[in-house]
Amino acid sequence: MLSFVGKRLGQSAILILIMSALVFFGMYVISDPVAVLAGEDFTEEDRLALAAELGVDRPLIAQYITFLGNVIRGDFGISFVYNRPVLDLILERLPATLEVAFFAMFIGLVVGIPLGVYSGLNQKARSTKTISFTTTVGYSIPNFWQGVLLILLFSVWFKVLPASGRGDTVDIFGVGWSLFSLDGLSHLILPALNLAIYTICLQARLARSGTQEVMYQDYMTFARAKGISRNRIVRRHLVRNILIPIVTITGLQLGGLIAFATVTETVFSWPGIGKLLLDSIHSSDRPVVVAYLILITLMFVTINFIVDVLYALLDPRIRYT
Amino acid sequence: MTEHLIHVEDLTIAYPMADGEKFRAIDGFSMTVNRGQIVGVVGESGAGKSTIGKATLGLLDENAVIDTGGVSLDQVMVTQLEEHAFTDIRGNKVGYIYQNPMTALNPVLTIGEQIVEAIEANTDKRGSAARDYAITLLEQAEVPHPEERLSKYPHQLSGGLCQRIVFAIAISAKPDLIIADEPTTALDVTVQKAVLDTLVKLTRQENIAIILITHDMGVVAEMCDYVYVLRHGKLVEEGPTAQVLKHPTQPYSRELMAAIPRIDTKIERFAVPGGLGKAEDRQRAIDYLMSRKTDAGVEGTPLLSVRNLSKTFTNNATALKAATDFKAVSDVSFDVYPGETLGIVGESGSGKSTVGRMILGLHKPDAGYEITYRGRNIDDLKSRADKLAHRQSLQCIFQDPYSSLNPRMTAGDNITYALRAHGTLTRQEARTLAGDLMELVGLPRASARKMPHAFSGGERQRIGIARALSFRPDFIFCDEPTSALDVTVQAELLNLMKDLQDQLGLTLLFVSHDLSVVRQMCDRVMVMKAGEVVEAGDCEKVLVAPDHPYTQGLLAAMPRFRPEEAS
Repeated sequence: MLSFVGKRLGQSAILILIMSALVFFGMYVISDPVAVLAGEDFTEEDRLALAAELGVDRPLIAQYITFLGNVIRGDFGISFVYNRPVLDLILERLPATLEVAFFAMFIGLVVGIPLGVYSGLNQKARSTKTISFTTTVGYSIPNFWQGVLLILLFSVWFKVLPASGRGDTVDIFGVGWSLFSLDGLSHLILPALNLAIYTICLQARLARSGTQEVMYQDYMTFARAKGISRNRIVRRHLVRNILIPIVTITGLQLGGLIAFATVTETVFSWPGIGKLLLDSIHSSDRPVVVAYLILITLMFVTINFIVDVLYALLDPRIRYT
Repeated sequence: MTEHLIHVEDLTIAYPMADGEKFRAIDGFSMTVNRGQIVGVVGESGAGKSTIGKATLGLLDENAVIDTGGVSLDQVMVTQLEEHAFTDIRGNKVGYIYQNPMTALNPVLTIGEQIVEAIEANTDKRGSAARDYAITLLEQAEVPHPEERLSKYPHQLSGGLCQRIVFAIAISAKPDLIIADEPTTALDVTVQKAVLDTLVKLTRQENIAIILITHDMGVVAEMCDYVYVLRHGKLVEEGPTAQVLKHPTQPYSRELMAAIPRIDTKIERFAVPGGLGKAEDRQRAIDYLMSRKTDAGVEGTPLLSVRNLSKTFTNNATALKAATDFKAVSDVSFDVYPGETLGIVGESGSGKSTVGRMILGLHKPDAGYEITYRGRNIDDLKSRADKLAHRQSLQCIFQDPYSSLNPRMTAGDNITYALRAHGTLTRQEARTLAGDLMELVGLPRASARKMPHAFSGGERQRIGIARALSFRPDFIFCDEPTSALDVTVQAELLNLMKDLQDQLGLTLLFVSHDLSVVRQMCDRVMVMKAGEVVEAGDCEKVLVAPDHPYTQGLLAAMPRFRPEEAS
């Protein structure tokens, strides 16, 4: 266990180092912050002064080493554009993104898995064909277009749900949450649904193929031969066994939902971290982009670690062999 | 008056097939079982034995159709019941024992959960009362330390213990009948005997009847009162066990009895019909195979010499556990002489296959070993050509004929693709060779164009043999080559291997868990236990008068099939 965690931490550190270097040098190549930030009336001296102020006049390697040193002390630098600590900027926006991502994942699992198990168990039913058709469609619709359709349907035609913004938030632990106010919740539903539709379809398909495989295992027949109820066979014998692929994909997808909710956030003007990233890329705000991607890498690594631990908890064969 | 517990009357169960025809898994079969009786249902794979058990419990596949007849249990026609009505029967009146205990138990639930849920479903015991009863049941099934086992998972226990746990589940509601579907096929022979003894004891105590479905005549001879012989879904013969085994009246029963390898005597050939190919083709194949045998080895000097062979496997660390080492083979040394068959016997996990795989170079042995083949240390072979010649000279026949052939290649391509890849044969030569070798192993040459799935298990194993032969080897490692096959098919294959060995002067390393097969095939034998050789020597001597207690135990545990002694 300890050696496993140690190895994992070492690998993660190397991964984050490589990631930070790639992004740091990559941002340098694609744009010059001085050119973006300087006014039209800037003289050459003004430009040099601006570069010195931003710290981009020194050799790139030196900048990178200084940056690394600061990161180790928990300082990700100051945004070129907003002139505020990068970490503050990100932490301000992160809860909104986490909220919509986790809510979407929750909907995806709660709706997707039962649908999948049901259609796996009743392969010949007409409803199964409907489910399988619908999930294929839901799986294939481009996210931005689906978002626009949702707005059209629920905000423009039926006028039941708001199309943009976060609505009222309730402060818990000093962070605002839309989930706990009625107005906030109504704002949350559409963006979360937009992210959830793909998740529902993916989870339903995974649960279905898992069910079809597990159904024919000897222990399922033996469980029936024992005389226990069908309900119990499904809940205890089947679901536990299909969870491993589901957990794998859920882990990967959760990371994706948080990191790349950008499109949905843009469509629904959700003030999350995705919009911050886009804006920062446009304005060459290197400290923000680099810090954001390092945090995202860290998050993926953490999620993967949790997934590995979940494997072991779900499957005793991994726990002790 | 004896009351029939189970009455099967003219039962026909059919499966619709893709071409609109029906496949009859069971065809007009009738049988009766009285209370407390142990009845054997024997036959080879595809005989429809398991279908009878499944029909009794309503566990038939969804597309199965009962065409005629039915099964009645206690005067109730169970084959006409709806799914929900079976809850009173399954576990309650009829217990079921599965072929492979390791797959019958759910891998992610504890033993305790799996026993308790059966108890709660079929008795009025709940909660801690159910738990206490589970411990009592495990004690009755002779599971040591029952209380500790409840929190374990199936993979932490041996196959034998898992089967005892399945017994405990099956008897939990004191059923009238237990259907045991090949209950010991997946177990080692020493475990098999103990497990069967427990089963008989448990059922005798409660006067529970057993339908024992098996292909193993030895088990039938030791356990059953009455026996039904099935073939292709039809009843061939029935009668009291002694009578059927001793004086089989039907040709198929006689053939079946003749095909069973005997542990107590060695016979030259099994008395089963063996198909031979066209003489001319066979001769051409033999000429080809002999053409390279320049230095097959000198009599009296070992062809293969193995010294201090060991193998340690390491499990990788995972989230919740550290890496562990497992010593599969420790310090094994032996010689194999040209033209002989050396057997390695042992139970699962004894390291017998690992030895063979190391000789072929499929596993790298731990440092400190020495393998000499034809007088040369194999680690001294440096040039590509030398290494290739060496590898071609040592071939392998695998255990599982289903996974050892490439399913996307024709049988002929499976036999010759490696030779083709080396560019030693033209396409035309390869086709001729594949055809000749097919005839040599008793398959028509035209079938070389068919894909592997079109062949039966025994036929696939013949293709596997032809593939091994295509390299003109001197040495073949046979890794349980017949353990996945029916006895009559096994007998045919063993005959074939003996013939080929005689004609080609092949040297065989024959790994098997089946002592009676080893006795028929081998000149000398090594007995392995937990990675070590406990006894080695002349096959007749080791299997007739073993020195080591472990070998004695193995022999004692073999179910005896001696029709002439059956009483």
